[in-house]
Amino acid sequence: MRYPRILLFLLIILTAALRATPARAAEIIPPSPKPHYIVDEAHVLPGSTLTAIDRQLEDFERTTSNQIVVAVYPHMQSDDSIAAYAVRMFQAWKIGQKSKNNGVLLLVFIDDRKMNITPGYGLEGALPDATCKAIIEKEIKPHFKTGDYDGGVRAGVNAIISATKGEYKGNNFTIGDAAFGFLICAFVIAAIVGCIVLQSYRGTIYNNRGNSLWWTLLWMMANSSSGSGSSGGWSSGGGGGFSGGGGSTGGGGASGSW
Amino acid sequence: MRKLLIVLSVVLGIVFILGISACSTYNGLINKQQAVDSSWAQVQTVYQRRADLIPNLVQAVSGAANFEKSTLTAVTDARASVGKVTIDANNAPAEAAKLEEYQRAQGQLTSALSHLLSIVENYPNLKSNQSFLEFQAQLEGTENRISVERGRFNAAVQDYNASIKRFPGVLFAGPMGFSAKPYFTATTEAQSAPAVHFDFGTPPAK
Repeated sequence: MRYPRILLFLLIILTAALRATPARAAEIIPPSPKPHYIVDEAHVLPGSTLTAIDRQLEDFERTTSNQIVVAVYPHMQSDDSIAAYAVRMFQAWKIGQKSKNNGVLLLVFIDDRKMNITPGYGLEGALPDATCKAIIEKEIKPHFKTGDYDGGVRAGVNAIISATKGEYKGNNFTIGDAAFGFLICAFVIAAIVGCIVLQSYRGTIYNNRGNSLWWTLLWMMANSSSGSGSSGGWSSGGGGGFSGGGGSTGGGGASGSW
Repeated sequence: MRKLLIVLSVVLGIVFILGISACSTYNGLINKQQAVDSSWAQVQTVYQRRADLIPNLVQAVSGAANFEKSTLTAVTDARASVGKVTIDANNAPAEAAKLEEYQRAQGQLTSALSHLLSIVENYPNLKSNQSFLEFQAQLEGTENRISVERGRFNAAVQDYNASIKRFPGVLFAGPMGFSAKPYFTATTEAQSAPAVHFDFGTPPAK
């Protein structure tokens, strides 16, 4: 009985070693705020604004399929420029639909007093660099200068929405909806397959016990998936919401400070 | 007789496996080479975008009274010399010298532009001029695009070069005519991109 234990021990060490990635140079990109469209780690925006903007941007994705994400952090964890960092964050969060590249990232660093708007390839026509700069200077900056982060972010979001409104048509769902639906289907199929396999394998004697075991497992899986769906902090509207669509950006947009 | 058949089938088996391996390696290398060329075309596109901005920028600036002519001439000359570098837009450069020549010409344009933008600070009417501010925003955006596309180009070249030097690519690359490609390197000019913020009301952010 020694051998299985040694093997298990080796396996644990191996997986731990594989998971331990070497530390890269300074830069850290925070995880995507999905299923929310807005994240505020600097805690300068009231909860009502977060909910309102989240809903506004989810509706915007449903009507136009454009994905706008707002990210407010205290400090940029990188030595690079905010524009270059915004591109990497945009790519990591996969903002925008893969086929249309219609994503926009509004990034604000409160303590650094810097902000940036980066459009995906597909929205560069609606949000050329000069327009992004104008939104930063004329819509957002006046509010930020007086410390009105709430007003500034709302004004910025409204301006980006009105600039990109006419670009693409949506079909009333978000990528988050699709991802969630896929997950549900996958579990249902797995459960059905599991039942079939179990029935044929265990024979009729264990039928009832086998079935109840699988239904229990399915129930547990479903519970854990819905638990992981809502992010920490405040609750989401169950299923759907933001999920990166695989869009890309080429850089561009504009940065500003206040 | 039987021994001969066995030897023959083993030899044929080896030849067959080598053939399949060569085919798939060749296809893989072609894909990666195409990725490099396509990335190069993107780099060209964004550099061209910057070059296209220059005439309008120069016009907006020369409208300001008494603007230093020498700075404007430096920018126009640098742009012209970029146009003179003969570069194949469809294929990524195969020699480091060629890429370095191209990079140097673009770098000169970058320095001329930074110099121009730093001088504009002395001309208050230009600093508040709407169309100049728009060009400045476009220039900043284009510089960002340039650095993004150069980064992607380098990533594509790295992938390609690694495939050529790894096994089994290393066996087939030479005879098939694939050679390593050069990277964009950081130059002193490239490190100071012309990004100037005219924010004199607030203390500089740190």
